[in-house]
Amino acid sequence: MNDVFLPDIACLEKVRDETPDTKTFTLRFRDHPNGNHFHFLPGQFLELSVFGCGEAPFCIASSPTRPGVLETTVRRTGQLTDQLHKLGNGDEVGIRGPFGNGFDVQAARGKDMLFVAGGIGLPPLRSLIWNILDERDCFGKVTILYGARTPHDLVYKDELEVWGKRSDVELLVTVDVAEPNWTGNVGVVPILFSKVSLHPESTLAYVCGPPIMIRFVVRDLLKRGFKEETVISTLERMMQCGIGKCNHCAIGHRYICRDGPVFNYREIAELVE
Amino acid sequence: MVFTLPREGTTKWLEKLLEAGEVIAPVRGPCGDVIFSALRSPSQVLWDFENPLHPPKQFVLPQTDPLVKIKLNGQRHEVEAIYDDAPRTLFNVRSCDVTGIAFLTRMHEAEPADASYLRRVHNLTIISLACTTPCPAGFCVCTDSGPFLGTGYDLQLTDLGGTFLVEVGSKKGEAAMAKAPDLFRRVSDDAVTQRKALEAAARTRFGPETCHFGSAMRRISTGRVPDALWEKMAGWCLECGGCNFVCPTCYCFSVKDLRQNGTWVRCRMWDSCQYAAFTLEASGHNPRAQHKERMKRRFFHKVSAQYYSRDAAVGCVGCGRCIKTCLGSTHMPAVVAAIRKGKWHE
Repeated sequence: MNDVFLPDIACLEKVRDETPDTKTFTLRFRDHPNGNHFHFLPGQFLELSVFGCGEAPFCIASSPTRPGVLETTVRRTGQLTDQLHKLGNGDEVGIRGPFGNGFDVQAARGKDMLFVAGGIGLPPLRSLIWNILDERDCFGKVTILYGARTPHDLVYKDELEVWGKRSDVELLVTVDVAEPNWTGNVGVVPILFSKVSLHPESTLAYVCGPPIMIRFVVRDLLKRGFKEETVISTLERMMQCGIGKCNHCAIGHRYICRDGPVFNYREIAELVE
Repeated sequence: MVFTLPREGTTKWLEKLLEAGEVIAPVRGPCGDVIFSALRSPSQVLWDFENPLHPPKQFVLPQTDPLVKIKLNGQRHEVEAIYDDAPRTLFNVRSCDVTGIAFLTRMHEAEPADASYLRRVHNLTIISLACTTPCPAGFCVCTDSGPFLGTGYDLQLTDLGGTFLVEVGSKKGEAAMAKAPDLFRRVSDDAVTQRKALEAAARTRFGPETCHFGSAMRRISTGRVPDALWEKMAGWCLECGGCNFVCPTCYCFSVKDLRQNGTWVRCRMWDSCQYAAFTLEASGHNPRAQHKERMKRRFFHKVSAQYYSRDAAVGCVGCGRCIKTCLGSTHMPAVVAAIRKGKWHE
């Protein structure tokens, strides 16, 4: 019987600043350098240990189509993330997982893909975006709508540039509050809907961001003809064990760590506290 | 299989059990209260006692349960799973507590199985003492967890006066008897008749506490308990977490790294769904910031049909410990009654 609480050791291979309080950590398993024991889907998460400080759940931000390393993008916002942000190349952390259901990539084949992300909500979608772009022929139109509070709060700035230049991706970015050098869109994410052509009947919409943004975006999508089953989001709770036992992430008799974190909007509406 | 054991044989049997490992039994604590504790000598064991406030849960799921040893060699971390494989016997535990351990075991067996817990239980022998006199606050008839058990024990003892009736529930039970085989006798029909009469009599001697789960379950499962009622009850709850900690079926936990003897030890620690920080996220967002939501959560987990169909039991064994420990009177029977009647008792 494998021990469900025993972490694998991973080394930080690269630490990249995304925003003043957000970093992307590239992790390689110390004892399995090619990482081929770790099979995951976009949307799954891991429990990351900072030894001596504990464990916390983070989504996997890298794509399974690019194996070998794992990436996770973390905002400094509490005790553990504060310690994590102090670590650098070569430092060791622990990893358990992958946990949760993840996005159903197979079922999405042939569909148009719409990604709507706010702020730090882009990392879980980034895993799916790169997965799709690496298997680009299997999917229809790819549209990415991304918003952040200010230009400084945009994550993956270099990748946004790459996606923006691709002819097979439509990328629109907006910020709530512009700064002097900003020439792009200004306003909340839903303002971008009128700038793209949406085809609800052939599209899956993936929405991730702060709760208030999700609420407005989902309302807008439903109004534009999306069915509840085609609006997909990933939920967050304080998942501690990752295996449906500790009860921190329970909503009713569902566990975000095991039954989620990915749900379509119909399922979300049926979750009863 | 059923046997009898003469009362004077228990000392010798316990000596043999003690040679094989730790024996946990109800004993008189230093201040006179009854507690579950590891025996030093057979004479400590109580045979006629009120069930301790703390169930024997701590011997299968310790309050601080070490899971992983984290060692640092230079810059290199080594992690190692910690297992407790010590053989233990729980002796003279009551029917409700046996049912509680069975509940916890089902939960930990569910995939993915929890090796840390299961290895401890694998080496545990449960010798229960049937309740010929129900305890004053008990209502185990409402939860099908007493006063006598049909299953769940390795051995079930019934006090027949000069002898004990011994019912064998498992191979582990047989092994416990095999430590002193000459003490046990094939049973007489009289002894079985006497045991049946004692069980029937015990069922008529329960106190006033009762817990009608049926209609409460229907209302909780369908979200038909008025918000105002949860709020009212939350106003009486002191958020001490006592009900969680004395409950034989509560198992919610947090995972923390503790410093022990120069290394870090990752531990599972009891937590309480009644604490506001239970669901607090680092961002400051708390999905159950309001106390009434936490109360609702506790009773949904224990009494809803959704959990009943998963666990094949309500999350209550009728031991009455929450009644004893709760200063705000928001214990299981009171809350179930309030939900059934649609109003709080005040």
